[in-house]
Amino acid sequence: MKKNYYLDKLYNSKKPFIIYKVSGGYDLYTDFSEKFFLNKNNVNSFFNKINNIKNKNKFLNLYVGFFGYEILCHLNNVRVPKQKNLNFPKSIFYKPETKIQIRKKISIKSSYKNYDQLFRKKNFNHNKILSPFKINIGIDKYRKIFNRFSKRIKEGKTYQIKICTKYKNKSLINPVNLFWKLMKTNSAPESFMIRDKNYSIVSCSPETLIEKKGNKIKTKPIAGTLRKTYKTNMRNALSFFKNNIKETKEHNMIVDMERSDLSKICIPGTVKLSKTKYVEEYRHLYHYVTRIDGMIKKDISIKDIIVAMMPGGSVIGCPKISTMNLLNFQEKESRNIFTGSFGFIKFNGDMRFNIIIRSILNYKNISEISVASGVVIDSTAAHEFKENYIKAKSLIDLYK
Amino acid sequence: MIYIIDHKDSFTYNVVHQFSKFDNKIECDNFDKINSVKLNKADVIVFSPGPGSPKDYPLSAKIYKKFKSKKKIIGICLGFQQILFNEGGKIIEQNKIYHGFQSLIQVTSKKSLFDKNKIFKVGRYHSLKLKEPFISKNFEITMRCKISNVAMAIENRVDQIYGFQFHPESFLTENGNLLIKKILSA
Repeated sequence: MKKNYYLDKLYNSKKPFIIYKVSGGYDLYTDFSEKFFLNKNNVNSFFNKINNIKNKNKFLNLYVGFFGYEILCHLNNVRVPKQKNLNFPKSIFYKPETKIQIRKKISIKSSYKNYDQLFRKKNFNHNKILSPFKINIGIDKYRKIFNRFSKRIKEGKTYQIKICTKYKNKSLINPVNLFWKLMKTNSAPESFMIRDKNYSIVSCSPETLIEKKGNKIKTKPIAGTLRKTYKTNMRNALSFFKNNIKETKEHNMIVDMERSDLSKICIPGTVKLSKTKYVEEYRHLYHYVTRIDGMIKKDISIKDIIVAMMPGGSVIGCPKISTMNLLNFQEKESRNIFTGSFGFIKFNGDMRFNIIIRSILNYKNISEISVASGVVIDSTAAHEFKENYIKAKSLIDLYK
Repeated sequence: MIYIIDHKDSFTYNVVHQFSKFDNKIECDNFDKINSVKLNKADVIVFSPGPGSPKDYPLSAKIYKKFKSKKKIIGICLGFQQILFNEGGKIIEQNKIYHGFQSLIQVTSKKSLFDKNKIFKVGRYHSLKLKEPFISKNFEITMRCKISNVAMAIENRVDQIYGFQFHPESFLTENGNLLIKKILSA
């Protein structure tokens, strides 16, 4: 990244900020004038507040933040039994007053004239590991859970289910350092970071869940991952996915599920597969992707869109609601941000949200990395367990 | 008006959009939040796909029995199995599981609305199947899996009851719209 006086000062200060990947660079949001901690009691009034904003085209007319998994369960009327948790907030949104576009050139826009004076005292942490990463579910326990859900699939209770495992350590981190280190190797299209006073998130999410402009909406589910080797290229990655029955079936299921989620809020006949089963290339892997577009019906609210689309189906399983019920009774530890969504809502109703995967949450000096892979009939517990480790490894390696 | 009974599935709104092509009045509610005014008004009742097996949905069974031969009834996947179950059929687990599977099926009966011997590709999402032999008055198994021979469609043209084990609304199904159009105009 280019040296910039303002950014250097910001990174070394204690000021909270957010970075979100955009095509061609990154947007950085800071100088937050409002901060909302959302929970099941106030989330509806947050949506109403956005609807009632009169001046929709004011400068930086957006709230940026995240919905954790639990609040999305609540919005879908799915119960979450008492789980072990860190009491991490369920959802936080911020109103930024300054936006820095990090492209080839860096440009800063702010509603504050003295934005470059607004730094509190210096803060610089080096990354420091206080205890090594540990997994919360070992292979024997994982195998038991896997076999239990294989049975549920045979009974037709779920068609696919994704079990979450967590890697945790005790550590002090400098999220800015970790984020840019991660972006060097994997600047996935939905990457983001949040640094606030008492927590940070660093993510290289590849998956776009909602991109809405005007009455147009699109989603881009990913199902299928192939690791790069010196032998792989785009062509043989595509033929790998096409000839792999397990990957194909998982992908098909996610495509039909996302079509249905969009159909809840879109005009009949407008939901279309605009790009079917293609390969996207990243530095270390290939993804199998489909793009689905639709036109939103009149009288559909921001909340309707969020409830229809979240949590993103590809990280939960199918059918979504019954599978969430099965998951929630299985998982003893809160997913926190994992499989929630990060993004922004503009006051005019436009929005962009990802699915929070491949992320580090650091809170109370604990870093947690959650991963999930699918129980489907053609898989084995050992394979999926290993798959989980591979997914977590690139993030765990950042601590080296 | 077409009333679609949703079994909390993640494919139901594909069904809603597909039926919307042929009728401008479609209503859809969860099986546990049925509106009796809409139900009585409907010309066609559709039982949606969904998780689990027919015995998990006594409310939908009641609706089927009440409106059988009074309204046109269409069942998809779980809905197909619900019709069979209520007609005395047994729904059992199968060894091979078809979730997200595209396969070939064939029209096997000349009593079908569709041309006998026609073969086409469909999308399937089912772990359960009909145990055969299945015999019930006026019901005919009209389509079967080309490979496993498992029952894929039933038609009862006397009582106007139709069901598909596969998903006509899936992007994996060829001519899905045509199937629904023909049944709605039958």
